[in-house]
Amino acid sequence: MESKNKFYFAITIIALVVVFWIWYASTNPNSEQALVTFLSVEELIDDGFSDRVRLGGVVEDGSIQVDENNYMTCQFELKEGDYLLPVEYTGVRPDLFKDGAEIIIEGIYRDGVFKADILQTKCASKYEGDLRDANNYNLGEVSI
Amino acid sequence: MIPVIGGLALNLALGLSIITIILLSFHLRTGDNRLYLSGQRAALAVSLVSFFATFVLAQLLLSSNFDVDYVAHYTSLETPTIYKLTALWAGQAGSLLFWLFILSIYGVVAILQNRRSQQKLMPWIMIVIATVQLFFLILVNFVSNPFVPTDADFILANGLGLNPLLQNATMVIHPPLLYLGYVGFTIPFAFSIAAMAQQEMNALWIKTIRTWILFVWLMLGIGIILGGWWAYQELGWGGYWAWDPVENASFMPWLTGTALLHSIMIQEKRNMLKVWNMTLIIITFTLCIFGTFLTRSGIMSSVHSFSASSVGPIFLGFVFLILIVSFSLLFYRRAFLYSGKRIESFSSRESGFLFNNVIFVVMCFAVFWGTLFPVISEAIRGTKITVGAPFFDQINIPIGLLLLLLTGVGPLLVWRRTSKQCAIRNFTIPVTVGLVTALILFLLKMRGYVLISFSLSSFVLTTIIIEFAKGIRSRMRSQHENMLIAFWRLMRKNRSRYGGYIVHIGIVLMFVGFTGHAFDSEKEFGLKVGEKEHLNNYQFELLRISEQERPNHYAWIADLRLQDSEGKTITILQPEKRIYFFRSPDPDRRQPHSELDIYNFLNSDIYSIFNGIDTDKGVAYFKIMINPLVSWVWIGGYIFVLGTLISLYPSRKETVI
Repeated sequence: MESKNKFYFAITIIALVVVFWIWYASTNPNSEQALVTFLSVEELIDDGFSDRVRLGGVVEDGSIQVDENNYMTCQFELKEGDYLLPVEYTGVRPDLFKDGAEIIIEGIYRDGVFKADILQTKCASKYEGDLRDANNYNLGEVSI
Repeated sequence: MIPVIGGLALNLALGLSIITIILLSFHLRTGDNRLYLSGQRAALAVSLVSFFATFVLAQLLLSSNFDVDYVAHYTSLETPTIYKLTALWAGQAGSLLFWLFILSIYGVVAILQNRRSQQKLMPWIMIVIATVQLFFLILVNFVSNPFVPTDADFILANGLGLNPLLQNATMVIHPPLLYLGYVGFTIPFAFSIAAMAQQEMNALWIKTIRTWILFVWLMLGIGIILGGWWAYQELGWGGYWAWDPVENASFMPWLTGTALLHSIMIQEKRNMLKVWNMTLIIITFTLCIFGTFLTRSGIMSSVHSFSASSVGPIFLGFVFLILIVSFSLLFYRRAFLYSGKRIESFSSRESGFLFNNVIFVVMCFAVFWGTLFPVISEAIRGTKITVGAPFFDQINIPIGLLLLLLTGVGPLLVWRRTSKQCAIRNFTIPVTVGLVTALILFLLKMRGYVLISFSLSSFVLTTIIIEFAKGIRSRMRSQHENMLIAFWRLMRKNRSRYGGYIVHIGIVLMFVGFTGHAFDSEKEFGLKVGEKEHLNNYQFELLRISEQERPNHYAWIADLRLQDSEGKTITILQPEKRIYFFRSPDPDRRQPHSELDIYNFLNSDIYSIFNGIDTDKGVAYFKIMINPLVSWVWIGGYIFVLGTLISLYPSRKETVI
């Protein structure tokens, strides 16, 4: 084979191998956290998924309860649309996790409770919020 | 009044950018020099007026003029002055203006620097820059205007304030550097479009464009590293890279930019691969615009999406416009770009560079694929599949290791053809060192990627040391210099080559740091004052918790004594739990924030996070991580910067030519 052709041949092979590799990894992830289905709470409750899934929603007001025996565990309800889902989460609670916070959780739904091991808050929503929120407070109280 | 002036400046700049494009297009048609000069002045005026608009916004932010919506949204009276200024790029409207500002700086420099030497290309260069400016001016004028007045029927006493996460020294410089990188690729892109349009591509063109690419690539690189540093110091999950869509957005142009830096050398030395280089420049620039789109459109939910907005479709339209116009031009001019030369041998340095290019581009594609996978899967299968870091790790670790291998092999190959004897001579020692390292690590019970990564690192380091040693030895012999002088002169004689090797050393050290990730360990626990907990060979004792009220937050500070296995005190870690806007009567506005504390060793970091405090029981909760070798990522980063700076510094030899 002429060296030029040999060269292009080699490059094509490499490119193909890597593309195959990407395809392989996309269909055979080596970790259950690699590719996770994102569902709505409605789909989860109706279809009863047993795989690891990811959900988004809002923390129902007043639902957060820290476990009495284990400070790292808490229960709360995730609200999306008209659906409420009881969640149990163990791990570090992000700073922005509180009533009404928009969050994303990942875990497994079993026996009517969603056991989450990943909890992320959507950042900074308050910081793009309604100006009215900020200005209700009296400057006199702030000591600078 | 002042906000109105800012808005007017943006209107004026928009008009001027259109005038620039019209004047220069007519100049190209008629060849009338007066049109050219007017066009050049208009082009400079666009930039000057954009500077002015940016300064107006900066002034509004500094003077806390809450009549302006942007100022009220991103700053408050309590925001420290420096962060009032950085609020310039905290929100969408401001950061788009900031893009324009940096593009204007680059534009002025490019025009003034090249207006004599590149007269033929100049009209086109200015047209391209003005078009990109026009795009951003349309955005800041009509879609996301930073000077919009507050939409409120009440008097604003205070603004919302800047997100505490962004109140960090790194955040002062990380975004500007990323922007300097992103925006900077506009100039090489403009040069390329101009070269294709005018069918002129001389040696000076390559030199200019190479320097630009190297500079903006450096900025992008520092920006990415600082972003990792910020995440590590501030976000509190113990890592520096999460394959977040926005991180990927900055990483992709860096990858293609790296490929470009290598392949442009082939064009410089052998006048080949011009079509390929053009393609890479177009792709890199498109990825920069695409990156801004990812950051700003809110299409991905990510840490960085501090916004969700309507600029998305416009950006996407612009991306397609760039691709269609540039690639049409490339196709139309393919005959001009075709060199007729071919790569002579499989084992030449050219082919080494080409393999490197293929791998870089494929890696970029892998990152692109993973980033857009949720969107693609939703479009095709109807379910949204989210992609986690393990997916990117799985795909990219082998590709990265292949690149590491090529980092070692490439410099050992000779231009045109490497003979068999030469190959044996060059490869024997490094390969031996690599194999011996592998054997030792194997006996130390290391396996898999860790073993491969460390062995390859030792192989690559050896090749670089030998390269330096060879150069120094030959100078010592031929010029009768001592070792240090020989080293110094060797570097000075060929800055781009040896600077490049130093960059490679930096990259190898970063790989060593990345590999350390495999040995991470972590533990979460609660402690009362006086209690102790262990992790690996370290002991953590909670000495006390103190409280402090500071200007815009309230802090609980834990004193956590760190002792080694023999009970010797190493340091006292002081992670903090803070509540920002503690005095705000609205509890929703009070924002907790964990300020972590890290103790660095050369071989590992002790990373402490104050998770929370249960005041009823008097228990404080911590997360401790021990992250081996992280320091090497930063050390590698410094060396990477140093090497690039050496390459960038113009060498005397070049100036003579």
